[in-house]
Amino acid sequence: MNLSIDSETQKRIDGVRKLGESQIRPVGLEADRLGRPTPADHPFFDLLLEIGMGRSRWVGEEPAEDSDTAGPRVGNSRNMLCISEEMSYWDRGVAVSFPGPGLGEPPLISMGTADQKARFLGPFLEPDRPRWGSFAMTEPGAGSDVAAIASSARKDGGDWILNGAKSFAANASRADWIVVWATVDPSLGREGHRAFVVERGTPGLGDFVVERKMGLKAYESTSFTLRDCRVPGANLIGGEEHYARRAGFKGAMRSFNATRPLVAIMAVGIGRAALDEALAFARENNLLGDARIRDRLERIRRRLRVARLLCWRAAWLADHGRPNIVEASMSKAVAPNVALEAASLGMELLGEVGGRGDHLIEKLFRDVKAMDIVEGTGQVQRIVMARHLVQLPRD
Amino acid sequence: MIDFELGDELELVRETARDFAEDHLRPALRDHEAAQSVGDSTLDAFRNIGFETLEWPETLGGSQLGALARCVVSEELAAGDAGAALAIDPLGPALYPLLEFGGIETLRELGAPLLHAPGSRAWLVWNGEGTRNRIERSAAGVTGTIAWVPASRVDLLVFLDEEGGFAVSEGIEHAPLRGSGLRAAGASELTLVKAPVRAEWSDASGAATALARCRLVIAALLVGVMRESAEYSRRYALDRVAFGKPIAHHQALSFLIADMASSVDCARLLVWEAAWRLEAGEDAHEACATAFVEAAEQAMFVTPNGVQILGGHGFMQDYPVEKFMREARALSLMLGGVDAAREAAGRELVSTLGRVALNVEAIG
Ligand SMILES: Cc1cc2nc3c(=O)[nH]c(=O)nc-3n(C[C@H](O)[C@H](O)[C@H](O)COP(=O)(O)OP(=O)(O)OC[C@H]3O[C@@H](n4cnc5c(N)ncnc54)[C@H](O)[C@@H]3O)c2cc1C
Repeated sequence: MNLSIDSETQKRIDGVRKLGESQIRPVGLEADRLGRPTPADHPFFDLLLEIGMGRSRWVGEEPAEDSDTAGPRVGNSRNMLCISEEMSYWDRGVAVSFPGPGLGEPPLISMGTADQKARFLGPFLEPDRPRWGSFAMTEPGAGSDVAAIASSARKDGGDWILNGAKSFAANASRADWIVVWATVDPSLGREGHRAFVVERGTPGLGDFVVERKMGLKAYESTSFTLRDCRVPGANLIGGEEHYARRAGFKGAMRSFNATRPLVAIMAVGIGRAALDEALAFARENNLLGDARIRDRLERIRRRLRVARLLCWRAAWLADHGRPNIVEASMSKAVAPNVALEAASLGMELLGEVGGRGDHLIEKLFRDVKAMDIVEGTGQVQRIVMARHLVQLPRD
Repeated sequence: MIDFELGDELELVRETARDFAEDHLRPALRDHEAAQSVGDSTLDAFRNIGFETLEWPETLGGSQLGALARCVVSEELAAGDAGAALAIDPLGPALYPLLEFGGIETLRELGAPLLHAPGSRAWLVWNGEGTRNRIERSAAGVTGTIAWVPASRVDLLVFLDEEGGFAVSEGIEHAPLRGSGLRAAGASELTLVKAPVRAEWSDASGAATALARCRLVIAALLVGVMRESAEYSRRYALDRVAFGKPIAHHQALSFLIADMASSVDCARLLVWEAAWRLEAGEDAHEACATAFVEAAEQAMFVTPNGVQILGGHGFMQDYPVEKFMREARALSLMLGGVDAAREAAGRELVSTLGRVALNVEAIG
């Protein structure tokens, strides 16, 4: 057992911290003040590329076509968690705005053919300019109930014709491509789902609306429509054989599952920022002599530590190829509420200063609520857990 | 690198403890309560496994395992019967001040004799911030009343406070009590009238470590109690049908059951984290206090809900869930209670300047 952060990871955390102080937080505060996503041509993104960020996790050409044949190998998502937490500490919205394939990457890596990986992730290996990928599952009429998505995919010769509307997809309007989920037959539920890579500029892809959000303003959450949008057959992720094996929905679930502790730990980062700020404010204002305030701060640190350990454990299990569905959902069910409590307590300590709307804690308070909504709401996490704990039927 | 693996040795220890609890503790849980003691055969079995001296130094014939082993074993035993877990452990939390203050020699002198007289018990009385007992010390000895100890006999009483401690082994009068939780360990009020002091220590740092380790053991016991409550009620909810389906499949209960499972894991993870710190030689006082608070809070969420899930049946003593609720409450009254631990952790926190480190950083 080892429940410490090793010095090598700590060094990387310290690196993020430097970037966080000098860049990430100021860029986030700027976006929040101006009430707009950081523009794609912002020099911050060029700087990120220069220092080696904005790239794909995909390692390039693989020896074997089928990733399933790879032997057991101990992954290292735990380190990624530590880095991700630190990014969110400085600004979670900015972290999502980073160039890179984003949430479109996991389905491409887990389901994509070698050719698709090379075509869509290849440009992210040594990107010539800031590039983004995007992921669009949610629709105006279907969020948690993923099976109910209504965007349709109809085969037309070698192509597919997509129609429908998608909501809240991160970085969609600036993306080189968007992984779009659609159904070939709504009556099939998840069996009917297909994932397509829809490339920028494809006719019929349009009506981009950058939503106005309570917080996390630094990245765009964008809604768009697909109107008779023609996508080549080669852009169906995994190819038709993949869906013939009826793995379509499982693929989607697998990618979410890998993401849960990663998203949960972002909440820990936000919560930790709130705790540090709250503690500093309370010290400056001589509030720490009050046992009531100490008790509440103590609770926040304790719950943040718990939340972090839950995330670490879920990632550790995944790294060893062990089932982690309950643990991953648990981390995601717990961490966002802990972080909200941290930010909310911070606001209380600020008192009327919190009402001004110009304090970092106030921003964190607005940012953090999304964490219990994205990547499966808190309720959805409990449903997933209950399926395992008490065989809750899917009905 | 972050790693949650217990390792083969501890897995074996855990399995052994689990088997012992299944065989000897859980089946007799109501008998233990009624008798306010466990049977001799259970005491023998426990001793034969070597659990009495799990953390004792090898020179005294112990296994010299660390805090993590203790936590793993405590959880398993308490999942069987938390009261019995106290009853079968002669030294209990009193082990830590003896070890911290006096080391092997003190343990040999004060602790070892208890092992040779089966049924003997030591108990640790917290005598610092948060205690409700009034204990007076004078040249003539120790005088005062201890409102409750979970024991029907006490052969060695160790008092611990922020500055150090002292031990008494004579002049302890017992008045039996009914007890609230943990009845299997017995329940007594103790009265001392000028009881002679057998040993005393002045060592604030040793006292802090002893207190931390005591808190950690209680926290581990709480984890065991709440785990069993969550598990028992989860199984019940799958069997019990209301409004046409198992009650577990009504979302209000399925979410509650999921949250109870989270609570148990939350508490356990903090216990393990604190135990890991102790073993790694890291500063662990705050972590142990924090683990205690978390365990107490989560246990008071889980165990009353364990009763709730069984409805009226949960309130009846035909089912064990009401016992789990009493035991969770009783355990978390110890060592100055939850507020004292909260205060300790809170004071440590507000003395932090700059960033708060949630875990130990930059090792290895
Ligand atoms: C900032 C932000 C960024 C996002 N980024 C992306 C993105 O990049 N790509 C993308 O595809 N989507 C994205 N989303 C969408 C997000 O995934 C959905 O909002 C989320 O899945 C919830 O769906 P919904 O909004 O339709 O809410 P609904 O599904 O309508 O849920 C409403 C409420 O009902 C509850 N609920 C639903 N079903 C049940 C049930 N069976 N039992 C109990 N309670 C239930 C939910 O928990 C919630 O509280 C983003 C959202 C936000 C806020």
